[in-house]
Amino acid sequence: MNANFKSWPVIAILSLVSLPLLIMFVFQIVDTFTNPYPGSIWPQMFTIEHWRFLWEEPATGRSSIWAVTWNTFVFASTTAVAVTSISLTAAYALSRLNFPARRFFLAGLIVLHAFPTITLIIAIFLILQFLGLYNSLMGVILVKAALELPFGIWIMKGFYDTVPWEIEMAGVQDGASRFTVWWKLVLPQVQPGLAALLIFSFLSGWSEFVLPLVLAPGNDAQVLSTYLSALILDDAKPDFNLFKSVGLFYAIPVIVIYLVFQKKLMNIYGGGSKG
Amino acid sequence: MPRFNALGFGFLAPALIVVALFFLAPVILTVFFAFTNMSTSTGITGGDYLLSQSDLRGVKASGVSDETYDALENAGYLVDDAGLARLAEARDQATADELAALHSGAKFDARRDMERALKDLRDNRIRSTRDRKALAELFKTSVMDERFGSEAAFRTALDGVGIPQADQDILVKEAYTGWVWTTENMKLLFSLDSSYRYAMNTVIYVTLTLGFNVGFGLFLAISTFYLSPGMAATFRTIWFLPRILPPVLYVLMWKWFTWDTGFLATITGYLGIAPRNWMLDTATNAWVVVILINGFVGASLGMILFSSAIKAIPSSMLYASEVDGANRWQQVRYIILPQLRWPILFTTSYQTLSLLTSFEYILLSTDGGPGRATEVWALAAYHTALNNYGGNLQYGFGAAYALILVIIGIAASLLYLRFFNFKELVTKPRIEG
Amino acid sequence: MQLRLENFTKKFDNLTVIDQLNLTVESGEMMALLGPSGCGKSTTLFTICGIHRMNGGTLHFGDRDVSNLPSQQRNVGVVFQNYALYPHMNIRDNIAFPLRVQKLDNATIAKKVAEIAELVHIPELLDRKPAQLSGGQQQRVALARALVRKPDVLLLDEPLANLDAKLRLEMRSEIRRIQLETGITAILVTHDQVEAMSMCDRIALMKGGKIVQLSEPDQMYNDPVDTFVAGFLGNPPISFLDAQVNADVFQVGPSQITIADSLRAKVNGAVKLGIRPEYFGPQFGTGITGKISFVETQGREDLYNVTLPDGSVLRSIQAAGPRLKLGDSVNWGISHDHALAFTPDGARI
Repeated sequence: MNANFKSWPVIAILSLVSLPLLIMFVFQIVDTFTNPYPGSIWPQMFTIEHWRFLWEEPATGRSSIWAVTWNTFVFASTTAVAVTSISLTAAYALSRLNFPARRFFLAGLIVLHAFPTITLIIAIFLILQFLGLYNSLMGVILVKAALELPFGIWIMKGFYDTVPWEIEMAGVQDGASRFTVWWKLVLPQVQPGLAALLIFSFLSGWSEFVLPLVLAPGNDAQVLSTYLSALILDDAKPDFNLFKSVGLFYAIPVIVIYLVFQKKLMNIYGGGSKG
Repeated sequence: MPRFNALGFGFLAPALIVVALFFLAPVILTVFFAFTNMSTSTGITGGDYLLSQSDLRGVKASGVSDETYDALENAGYLVDDAGLARLAEARDQATADELAALHSGAKFDARRDMERALKDLRDNRIRSTRDRKALAELFKTSVMDERFGSEAAFRTALDGVGIPQADQDILVKEAYTGWVWTTENMKLLFSLDSSYRYAMNTVIYVTLTLGFNVGFGLFLAISTFYLSPGMAATFRTIWFLPRILPPVLYVLMWKWFTWDTGFLATITGYLGIAPRNWMLDTATNAWVVVILINGFVGASLGMILFSSAIKAIPSSMLYASEVDGANRWQQVRYIILPQLRWPILFTTSYQTLSLLTSFEYILLSTDGGPGRATEVWALAAYHTALNNYGGNLQYGFGAAYALILVIIGIAASLLYLRFFNFKELVTKPRIEG
Repeated sequence: MQLRLENFTKKFDNLTVIDQLNLTVESGEMMALLGPSGCGKSTTLFTICGIHRMNGGTLHFGDRDVSNLPSQQRNVGVVFQNYALYPHMNIRDNIAFPLRVQKLDNATIAKKVAEIAELVHIPELLDRKPAQLSGGQQQRVALARALVRKPDVLLLDEPLANLDAKLRLEMRSEIRRIQLETGITAILVTHDQVEAMSMCDRIALMKGGKIVQLSEPDQMYNDPVDTFVAGFLGNPPISFLDAQVNADVFQVGPSQITIADSLRAKVNGAVKLGIRPEYFGPQFGTGITGKISFVETQGREDLYNVTLPDGSVLRSIQAAGPRLKLGDSVNWGISHDHALAFTPDGARI
């Protein structure tokens, strides 16, 4: 940051500790379109054979990658929309509206936000069985959206809290109902937050692994995370080039979205996200 | 006075429904389930009444009379009046009479023998083997291995073989295949050595990972702070990737890095070390890998939080310390670290709870192995209830594991409530109308 | 339209902020609610516009009882301290918003917006966004939006607080001009006595949730009901001296001040004297001796603090002249007709 200190020792140490990650990243990409000599790991020949899963007929008992990708997209986007829209209204109520037991609901929000939801998975598994939603995409979507909700409300409330009260007061004075004030005056102010939450929940849904694994293990509702993990578990002799190609295919949207919306997302990743 | 009740509740309603269904209900149900013996074999709804040979041992231990036990164990096929009447109804009186003449009062242990007896009929020959099988059942005196849909049906059958009312209650309980309330799970949980082992594992896992997260996160945040913006951005991106990559892929990279056909094994192979699975070959290795996998992800969160906290330190303060002659270490020690107290506390408390309960990365990497070396409490709950090799998923017992975590989770969350500046959070809405 | 607030009481939780306040603003009048922060003036304003609800009392606009009406139905225009323009709308939409929510047709809206923009002198700004406007321009837009639907009452909450000194001067007269042109009943909430005195027909000076004095500006300045009012108005502020009534004079330490004829019969014993800086100086003769303890030159005028032998301080403001220095001894006089007398606990005699 300034000339009073030398920076090369820091760079050296940082590079050293970053080396394993760097190696993983580089090989993660290189290995998807090269082949090593047998018994070695160094890439030698260019090939696209590792990507054949994209166009070849799936092995029996396996779903087609495109059906799985579609599932993943439906899962991620539906949860994102559900989380965002429910958070939009609930967070506004908690941030700005008068109603009885508001304190109680706010305390509840904090508790829920901190509560480790994954501990409930066994009970949720059984609830879905009772409801007949086990092994369906619908069921996982509901659960994922629900578990993501306290976080969404928390984030949205943070955005609402920054909207000046005077804007709303002025709207009310100008004769608009509270609903109109929210819809026409406040929502436009929290649009950045809305977008960030939407993207964040989409990424979170896209990456989700445990919920689909437990709640929808069947082939019909398979998503890319469970597809990839099943692929890795199944093979007696691991074909890492194939795994990595599927993995890269899986991660590309994440990386692209992250690169495009980096600034917007940084807020959320820093803001009270769970480790 | 509060005129916007309707709107407030309307806005809150969808969230409330979802929370009730997927937070409140699961918490309550986890408590319930923890006190049942629910499993794959009991099912999760009701059950039937079925007394099998293996149940008999339990029956004997539970203190039924010897007669009852005999009646159950030695029951077989008896050609008695009741049976003959049933035969007459199913077939005709002539057949019944002939059988009575031949075998009245005879007793057979196995159905094969009873069928043979039916074969003896000459005048009223029963030709089809299937018919004989079915008719033999009419003389059955046992309730063993037979499935009854309701308690009443089961009791009727017990009456049929002459089991006294006093013993019936015990048998009804033994024969029920559905789930029942029990405190066995809790007793088991506290008596099993493995529980203590998992608890120990969890403590090791949380402490070491947390230490790594915070320590390394601090190191990343502080060291990148001193770099040129471009350099800092590069390193931060490298270290942020573990957090945004899907867990399955992130762990896959580690597998490639550590498995016996992977990177480490190849490199060490050049040094003459036989290839081995660096992730799973010893418990120590497994722990190191598990902690690194989680630690890298946690450290990137720490890095973000700490970086922004460092950025918030006025640069004049840093300049001043340099003018005052502080070297870099002194600057970190006396200027930067003291200002990071709150973010560190926040990260620590938050991650403690989340590490305590999360098992995703361990499940994906070592799956608790080798043996049960890296099996933490949350993973044990998952394995018990949702995925074990035996195939009989013990929902009740798993819920008992989970219940412990739920209790810790609620307690800790309530604790956070105290930490938070709750008063500021609940400042009243300024539009009263 | 006349505004009448009767027995108005306001509590926050269990804390009574305003107790039984009465205030009547005549039709077409501009009334200032003046007072230090925390005196309840903003609470009163927020209650009049309906953002706060009353815990007791009634509010009438003309004959209409609006005590229990929500803000939306009160027909009050408000200009907020930070203007509260809607940042995502351009100026035209901002001004049109109150009409839009009434679902007026576009032609009517366009006509009314054009009229009001003309009135506040911003027709050329209509297509800009609020962020592109200066503070003074935003202020005009806020006024336009508050006035566009012809409210019964116009409320201004510290409208000049966010402007720099020069703009403040300009907008002071602009707001007054617009108020007079529209003839609207207006209430100005401010903590700045200069704004209150220069813009308003009458001033209600508030303290601790009560109106201490309600009168026209010059009367309030010259005839304050107590030391609080006397001290609040005037810059540089009035000075207070402890005095004893001694036959025909106020005895202040060794010095004596003649008691004005109008006061002579009413005073005796210990009193507090209020001397405004413009009534103390060499032009009023001699009689008060002391040392210069503070000098401030304001260009056209000089301001002096004179410390008397007993330690009390008198302020004096004089046309710029021969500069006196710190520590100089002076012997100046007081215009005794203008000395204000108060009881020791502050009430005016």
